[in-house]
Amino acid sequence: MSALDEALVARIAGFVATMRSNGFAIGMRESADALTAAATIGVGAREPLRWAWRSLLCQRADDWNRFDDLFDSYWMPPNRKAATPSKAGGAGRAAFDEGAGASAGKPGPVLRLETGEEGSSAPDAPQAKDGASAAAALEQADFRHLGDRDQVRAIEIVIRSFAMRLKRLRIRREQAAASGARIDLRRTLRRAVGTAGTPGNLVHLAPRRVRPRLVLLLDVSRSMSLYSFFYLRMARALALTLGDVHVFAYHTHLTHISDPLRDDDPWRAQERLHLLSAGWAGGTRIGECLAAFNRQHAGRLVHSRTALIIASDGYDTGEPGLLGSALGELARRARLIAWLNPAKAAADYAPLARGMREALPHLDLFAAGNSVESLQAALGQILEAL
Amino acid sequence: MTAARIEQIAALQAQLGQSGYVVERDLAATLLLMADLGRPLLVEGDPGVGKTEIAKALAAARGTTLIRLQCYEGLDTHHALSEWNYQRQLLAIRLAETGSGSLAEDDLFAPKYLLKRPLLDALTQEAAPVLLIDEVDRADEAFEAFLLEMLSDYQVSIPELGTIRATAIPLVVLTSNATRELSDALRRRCLYHYLDYPSFEKEVAIIQARAPAIGDRLARQVVELVQALRRMDLKKRPGIAETLDWVASLLRLGISGLDEGGPELIQDTLATLLKTREDLRAIDRTVLDRLIASAA
Repeated sequence: MSALDEALVARIAGFVATMRSNGFAIGMRESADALTAAATIGVGAREPLRWAWRSLLCQRADDWNRFDDLFDSYWMPPNRKAATPSKAGGAGRAAFDEGAGASAGKPGPVLRLETGEEGSSAPDAPQAKDGASAAAALEQADFRHLGDRDQVRAIEIVIRSFAMRLKRLRIRREQAAASGARIDLRRTLRRAVGTAGTPGNLVHLAPRRVRPRLVLLLDVSRSMSLYSFFYLRMARALALTLGDVHVFAYHTHLTHISDPLRDDDPWRAQERLHLLSAGWAGGTRIGECLAAFNRQHAGRLVHSRTALIIASDGYDTGEPGLLGSALGELARRARLIAWLNPAKAAADYAPLARGMREALPHLDLFAAGNSVESLQAALGQILEAL
Repeated sequence: MTAARIEQIAALQAQLGQSGYVVERDLAATLLLMADLGRPLLVEGDPGVGKTEIAKALAAARGTTLIRLQCYEGLDTHHALSEWNYQRQLLAIRLAETGSGSLAEDDLFAPKYLLKRPLLDALTQEAAPVLLIDEVDRADEAFEAFLLEMLSDYQVSIPELGTIRATAIPLVVLTSNATRELSDALRRRCLYHYLDYPSFEKEVAIIQARAPAIGDRLARQVVELVQALRRMDLKKRPGIAETLDWVASLLRLGISGLDEGGPELIQDTLATLLKTREDLRAIDRTVLDRLIASAA
């Protein structure tokens, strides 16, 4: 093989490796087929190669949408951007770093976390409401601290005990079993046919074990930026422990983030969330997002064993009335709707936000859940209700 | 080499266009790649965009048979692959008992007693057929595992007959409505294509290919209105099949523009486009008037 061919093969292999590191599941056979396709089609024109590799390397609609950008970024002339350094910290006060962001060439201010007093429940909640604008901001959240050790460990302990108790939940629907409290007459009589009519073997009825489904809707707008990371960590712990957990994030529109959040590799999870996070920390349109959730996902996800957990502060900048009607529809379908509002931790909290007032009649559980202890209490209450 | 490839893509596009299926260049390129690499194709998309039509058009363009397997919950190999014709075997045993001669066990498991279902049919064709596995997300995971095995090596094993290899490797098209998440292994095996609703020009081309009697002005108005309907918040968005049905009903009315004849006439034909009670109620007279005015 000539040197040119070798260089070409190396470049194509590098492209496949880039796709793999971006979350595309590509095996050995697919990469071999990518080379075969390039050999058959020829490397003269870009478009036939793009189509061939797109159909070969993508496996689902999300991959499909992301492919073009990644293809262009690898094969077109590079567009270099420096990454902004971030300070270490936990769920501290969020600040807007105008200077650093502008110099690095990113569009707009960069949302960054710095160490500050933790747990000071939002005394500036009324001002935060003014900060949330109706237009979506072009900011990208910094996910480096999704894996902050100490807090994650504490959350995981709480979640693990919750998950264990959840797994032992039984419901009233009964099924046949070898031993139990009641006798299943129908099956016992059927078995009696084999012993000439006398019921020799008894079949019992035992309650069937069913694991409820959890759907989390997390508000990641600017007004919730102090707590978003906490709720994301909680959602990640839940998603990794339990099987049937679906997580959505919303601000002005709704995004499904279960898959990136569930990723075992924290770096890869961070990368995938980063790609989805365009426009985070902008204003909130809770009503519209809930209506969109109803339209697109509720039919598939919400059934009578589903517990819906919404984490938001209730500041809705969308149309009035939409939130109430959307929640009403959801309340008819789901078993339990819980609302976690970090502002409730303040002793003198009264639901002044319009969204909160609209939502209250439909909620089964309204709690704070913004620290590990209150999370434990809230999860305990959810378990009792389920 | 690339120029030859581009010609091949254009040729396939023209062939499919003759069978009435308007296809874009990237899908035509993928269909060519399917034949080159010997991989199946998984097509996903909203209902009504024409996923099943791809297989039909491909079979017509290549001049081969189309074999269709419709998946449902609980589908197993007896309905998909093959089944022994038990009644006939019992009859043969009875006949051998009562009279004419002996029946060896091998005779009882001869191919004439085997009922071939779609998958086995596809593997034993002389010329490579097009195998359409429709709505594979409705079948359960056990069937998916069996499919994966078959799609990897194109051979199946029937216990009494041994391994049966494909005489000609079929072109396999799988469609999915994304009601259930397909396993990664199956997705990796297949090429992937996501079919979205068509653009304005493409939908006009589809209408003119399928209903040549339509005038240009009416076709453009129809597509404008249907695309506006798709952008609205309907419970069931109209797909391409619904558009074609509506065109057929409009042609029977004999109009050449949506603004002729009055909106009541158009409202009567809306049953071809809107398929739920809420949608029919949502598109009342005022909304329809506004849509017709903006489309005309």
